[in-house]
Amino acid sequence: MAAPLVLVILVAVTVRAVLYRSSLAAFISERVEVASPLNAWKRVVEGLALLDLGVSPYSGAIFHETPLIIYLFHFLIEYAELVFMITDVLTAIALYLAIQDFNKVVFKKQKLLIELDKYAPDVAELIRTPMEMHYIPLKVALFYLLNPYTVMSCVAKSTCTINNTVIAFFILATIKGSAFLSAVFLALATYQSLYPLTLFAPALLYLLQRQFIPVKLKSKSFWLYTMQYAALYLCSLVVIICLSFFLLNSWDFIPSVYGFILSVPDLTPNIGLFWYFFAEMFEHFSLFFVCVFQINVFFYTIPLAVKLKEHPVFFMFVQIAIISIFKSYPTVGDIALYMAFLPVWSHLYRYPAHLRLFLCLPPTGVLPHSRTLFDKARWDRGHACFEVRIVFTILGKWTTLRNMQSLGYMGWVGKVPWMRSDFKDDSY
Amino acid sequence: MPDIFSLFQDQAEQFFKSGHTNNWAVLVCTSRFWFNYRHVANTLSVYRSVKRLGIPDSHIVLMLADDMACNPRNPKPATVFSHKNMELNVYGDDVEVDYRSYEVTVENFLRVLTGRIPPGTPRSKRLLSDDRSNILIYMTGHGGNGFLKFQDSEEITNVELADAFEQMWQKRRYNELLFIIDTCQGASMYERFYSPNIMALASSQVGEDSLSHQPDLGIGVHLMDRYTFYVLEFLEEIHPASQTNMNDLFQVCPKSLCVSTPGHRTDLFQRDPQNVLITDFFGSVRKVEITAETISLDPNLAAFESKPPKDELAAEPLKYAEQLPVAQIIHQKPKQKDWHPPGGFILGLWALIIMVFFKTYGIKHMKHIF
Repeated sequence: MAAPLVLVILVAVTVRAVLYRSSLAAFISERVEVASPLNAWKRVVEGLALLDLGVSPYSGAIFHETPLIIYLFHFLIEYAELVFMITDVLTAIALYLAIQDFNKVVFKKQKLLIELDKYAPDVAELIRTPMEMHYIPLKVALFYLLNPYTVMSCVAKSTCTINNTVIAFFILATIKGSAFLSAVFLALATYQSLYPLTLFAPALLYLLQRQFIPVKLKSKSFWLYTMQYAALYLCSLVVIICLSFFLLNSWDFIPSVYGFILSVPDLTPNIGLFWYFFAEMFEHFSLFFVCVFQINVFFYTIPLAVKLKEHPVFFMFVQIAIISIFKSYPTVGDIALYMAFLPVWSHLYRYPAHLRLFLCLPPTGVLPHSRTLFDKARWDRGHACFEVRIVFTILGKWTTLRNMQSLGYMGWVGKVPWMRSDFKDDSY
Repeated sequence: MPDIFSLFQDQAEQFFKSGHTNNWAVLVCTSRFWFNYRHVANTLSVYRSVKRLGIPDSHIVLMLADDMACNPRNPKPATVFSHKNMELNVYGDDVEVDYRSYEVTVENFLRVLTGRIPPGTPRSKRLLSDDRSNILIYMTGHGGNGFLKFQDSEEITNVELADAFEQMWQKRRYNELLFIIDTCQGASMYERFYSPNIMALASSQVGEDSLSHQPDLGIGVHLMDRYTFYVLEFLEEIHPASQTNMNDLFQVCPKSLCVSTPGHRTDLFQRDPQNVLITDFFGSVRKVEITAETISLDPNLAAFESKPPKDELAAEPLKYAEQLPVAQIIHQKPKQKDWHPPGGFILGLWALIIMVFFKTYGIKHMKHIF
């Protein structure tokens, strides 16, 4: 499978290189859908310039990147384009390897369940064969690399790509079963943007599953493993944060990065939900609503953990989708990451859910136009932008929920009576 | 010969006897909020005319809420128009507003008039008039019988205003004062004046409303009031050398055009309005007469001979630029110190990375290296 992957990578790199040289690069970098205050390249350059002038880059509200990014780009700023292309490629390779391993695990589990005769007869069409699963990792890499969203993100040199790389490596480490590496990468991802904290739960569930530790609240081994993993994660996070202190000898980066993510002071229109709401809010209520909106991201973790404890990787996918929809400054790069996972569950698409996926596309087309409407036709058109984003959000959620439903259908068909095909529903 | 001298002497004395030597203007718009656009436009139009006729910004105290030009509801930002079809932008680039926004209060207005201003107030906010100053006071906004509303929160009554003018008279802060008011029931505001040398004009009598002139469909509000509109039309024809007098100003805006009846009061004024030039108040006309004769202003002074000032011989003509070594300064660039991450950080980071690497892949690889 290496050769087609290399081919895909070459095509992707070519596309990006071509776009870098064209005039579209400047145009794309300016779009708010692609570059948010957290990850715009312009701000990275500004921060590094401030540093060269002897001023802390965190003074003023321009720069919201972490010190490790400062360190990375201090030496690599001339090769920025190359760095972003390499990070995209690394993400794709990481996803490829992760999904390859995941498929092996899934296939083994499926084989086991078939032999134990746990599936109902009419689920035959959902059983996956090695043939069709063979191409899924390639499709994932393809989906990620050639997704216009990823390409735009890369061409705009948004550090969202670096975030995606770290998350991809985290997923790879989790699926390979290494708790230590998974904790380290999760700490890095959380350190950069706060929200991957919620990925702790699916990772934990997957690792428990891998170690064959049942998820029961009374089980001692469950708690032991959880504590170990949590300790690894927290220690790495603390170590990384303390190390960042030593870069600039100040704790300025904490309010600039995490304070900014949590308190959402910048209300430039983007594809998220925060700005429209907070632009017209009285100061008195803003703290309350900021808390409500932020809790919204973290809120789904526990119910989903309870529901999807048998499918932790699907849980991870849903969680990434939730993060990318509800985070305070989403960009298309975040969406690209979760869209990359869609081929993994392609067997579920024989259900009408996939139609709704394509309904996602028209709002995507309208998004840039709605920004123009907002800019040119004054504030009262702003609600149209918001409606477009709501549609986008709802469709995103709808797709994931339908995916979940379909997945559930597959798992539960044997168990729930009224889902069995031979059940006569006269009594209803 | 002595007759000619005394003739010139008389002329010179005449020159210094008549009226005023400087002009001031206090222009007050007492309203704020978007729908009171016309009051700001009124005041700014008068400001423009007064500047055009020669009164400099240093002699104009302009009090405006100044919330029109940059109002979010203004479809033409940074402009305030005073004619329909947006012919004339009275805001422009060189408006100097002395009291803006919440500083336009009754207290500040009275302090400006009476001169009782806190010590730190800048010159632009002071009315530094003397007993040879002719002052034009123009007020516009919403008014009633005996009062004028300031910014929706307070009022000034006609009694207060009359007392303020009396204070000005007693402190010799004006030579002659022209008071123009364009509000509803404006005549009530000058009823109570009792100080000499005040002439007053108002846009409407007690019981009448002053009406606005034109709404503009592009901006969405009324742009000017009728009385001020016609006063300005009248002022457009005035130039610094015109000889038009006050009687013509009283005829401006008859009831047929203004719907309200403008009023005026001249009983306190010592000169006949016929002899008062418009430019005595609206312009700042410097009296200049050219003569080739020497006139001694004081006969006793003729004894004093003015000595030519001693020429202080400078050693060398000192030029400012030569005192600074310019050439040296130009070529001196600030050294850009590049920032480097501290050594401790790099060490720590790479130590961590190596630790993670070896933890993952096992110590056995280290044995291969060593």
